[in-house]
Amino acid sequence: MKSSLLLPSRYKWIGFILLIPSLILGLLVRFRDFSFDFLTLTKSQTLVHSKNLNLDDLINLTDELALTGLIVALLFIAFAREKQEDEFINKLRLESLQWALLFNYVLLILATWLVHGLGYIDVMMYNMLTILIFFIIRFHVALYRNRSSINE
Amino acid sequence: MKNILKIERARHSLTQQGLAEKIGVSRQTINAMESNKYVPSTVLALKIARLFQLKVEEIFLLEEND
Repeated sequence: MKSSLLLPSRYKWIGFILLIPSLILGLLVRFRDFSFDFLTLTKSQTLVHSKNLNLDDLINLTDELALTGLIVALLFIAFAREKQEDEFINKLRLESLQWALLFNYVLLILATWLVHGLGYIDVMMYNMLTILIFFIIRFHVALYRNRSSINE
Repeated sequence: MKNILKIERARHSLTQQGLAEKIGVSRQTINAMESNKYVPSTVLALKIARLFQLKVEEIFLLEEND
């Protein structure tokens, strides 16, 4: 009955604290072409690089930092144990995960048919995070519904 | 499946929170069981039965469509 893959419940707050700077950094990188100079590498210093996408010889790792921060923050929030994690909460968790997975893929299929060209790269970029976001929202809505329907 | 959890809880004058604490689950779980939204595991059903000193099948009852 114990789900050992969950983190201690304080990780939810650690996740939120990490999410804020990561999100700001991510938005700056995406929409303002922001980058930290000290994170610039030459191509020969990176493990994997492709010739086609980057024409210049320099690679900046600010976006890597932002994406890693966002993924880790969302994972922390998503998989932090609830204060009272029991079998019913576990069921809500699994149902929410299933729902999020389905919803995410339905949206991905829609986007595949509706978005073409370079815009599709944006779709894939957001899609890396949306499954976790949908799960977090769905799970907390389910928790809230059950909390608010409590009548003594 | 239906159950007489609410009745038994009232008979022992326990709140949902009180019952939840006694068997080590969240209040939501008690609420979900009482409103027939959740079928508990065998372990949880046995714990409830032991607390109320009844048999599991006296608390939880199968319905036609089960």
